[in-house]
Amino acid sequence: MPPDYQSEPIIAIRDAHKTFGKVQALRGVSLDIFAGEVVVIIGPSGSGKSTLLRCINKLEAIDSGEIVVDGMSLYAKGTNINTVREEVGMVFQSFNLFPNLTVLGNLTIAQRKVRKRNKAESEAIARQLLEKVGISEKVDVYPSKLSGGQQQRVAIARALAMNPKIMLFDEPTSALDPEMIKEVLDVMLALAQEGMTMVVVTHEMGFARAAANRIIFMDFGEKIVETTPFDLFENPEHERLKQFLGKILSH
Amino acid sequence: MAQGNPPLTEPRQLIDVRVFARNILARRSWLIAFILFDIILAYLIIVDPILRDAWDFIAPSPTPEEQPVTIWWYLQAGIGLTLVITLISFVFSIIGGLFIALMRISKNPILYNISTFYVELFRGLPLLVVILIFNFALVPMAVDIVAGTQVVDSAGNVTTEGTTGIDFLDDLIQRLVGVPEDRIGSTRLRSRDIDETWRIIFAFAVTYAAFMSEVFRAGIESIGKGQMEASRSLGMNYLQAMRFIILPQAIRNILPALANNFILLLKDTSLASAVAVPEISFLTRQYASNRFRYPEGLLVLSFIYANLTIALALGVNWLEARLQADKREST
Repeated sequence: MPPDYQSEPIIAIRDAHKTFGKVQALRGVSLDIFAGEVVVIIGPSGSGKSTLLRCINKLEAIDSGEIVVDGMSLYAKGTNINTVREEVGMVFQSFNLFPNLTVLGNLTIAQRKVRKRNKAESEAIARQLLEKVGISEKVDVYPSKLSGGQQQRVAIARALAMNPKIMLFDEPTSALDPEMIKEVLDVMLALAQEGMTMVVVTHEMGFARAAANRIIFMDFGEKIVETTPFDLFENPEHERLKQFLGKILSH
Repeated sequence: MAQGNPPLTEPRQLIDVRVFARNILARRSWLIAFILFDIILAYLIIVDPILRDAWDFIAPSPTPEEQPVTIWWYLQAGIGLTLVITLISFVFSIIGGLFIALMRISKNPILYNISTFYVELFRGLPLLVVILIFNFALVPMAVDIVAGTQVVDSAGNVTTEGTTGIDFLDDLIQRLVGVPEDRIGSTRLRSRDIDETWRIIFAFAVTYAAFMSEVFRAGIESIGKGQMEASRSLGMNYLQAMRFIILPQAIRNILPALANNFILLLKDTSLASAVAVPEISFLTRQYASNRFRYPEGLLVLSFIYANLTIALALGVNWLEARLQADKREST
């Protein structure tokens, strides 16, 4: 399913500024993301890429600027942020599964309390998603019994269970052992092929090359380069981008 | 058959009795000593007429004439009353402590400052002082406000000037404290209508809520902020995230601390004797001063408290061990 560039962007960020104390995390970032697009954000640590991602579902609030998600302006008076978040799934670097609930409980709690689905329906959806991410046999297990890769796949399934229109990934493979990275990336690739709108902060260049429609390079809180995967790898233009790619691709 | 089949099951591993005994002695001698003392004391209380007399006074049993002998009878005085005060105060203080803790971690400056003021104040006041304040100052003052201070004669003329009071609260509280139905309309609430037991339960609840709130706050803050972020990113609101995700984890972490506060509260109920609530400490003081038998009375009293608290402490140990076993299994 190709991205829909004709309609309004599903995420529109206008001139976003954000400071943490004295650190300027975002200095006037603007970005449009269209339905069905996979946008990968790369950049050195401290460049503001995670902050930008967390601003999209208002886990961080920007100081000035505007963000519109799925037609809802995050800072408009009438906007209920919980309604926005129902449509925006998020996957964290540290998984953040709920240790007090089983895998099934992790997948059903928000469906039942937020989407108000009944027990049978939410469990059916949960099982279906667990099958999709390849861990259907771990339904009744507690998260601490799972490997990192399994936990992250449960976390992806948990976000998907809300039927979001957008998925945000905040360095989803950075906390994983090398042999588990692939199983998570495979799930993400399959999701991208289904046409899910995805914004992914990652260092996995292989994933970027295979799945991204666009790649954003950020540094010092600014969007430095916005390009396609092909241009990024074949003829990177910007000096700082070249340096960055030189560092992470040298091995 | 000449060749015997190999046994179907492995022989059960026998516990080495000496190692077992050594472990018990090393870790449980205190408990053995305690149980021995306990048995000796229980025996003495049964056979010694003076100790028996003290026991009957402090932990009375209903005589056959006092029918019906129900659980309620036991809850009116002595051990029963001690436990009732402890339990009700504990429940109130847990509910209050939870709300104060939620206010304390709130970003709202008004809620934060009110709750912090409360916690610092009641952690700073000695419990005995709080009990005296509630009993002799706050409750009478509140009754004056509710019932009013003016005196009206039967003809409806005001004989002594004063405040008028709040009629509907006056009637409501009279009903709650059990003033006979036919008198509620014609009489005003009096300070003595409000039972001392309830006054001190308020005092305990208010003081312990301050301590409990700090336990709850520590528990909530021990849960990483990723849990809240994950809950919120799934569209849960703050209260849903607290109720379904944060608090279940926090309470599990603080169960031993809560149980510890329960034991402290049980012991602190002895302060209720200062305002003549007939729990075991008050009964002991009455018994001892009536008959000049302080050692006997105090011995029986200590026997009761020690048994109650050590039983609770063992329960807490068991709980802690179980929770840790759970954790080990799940990580």
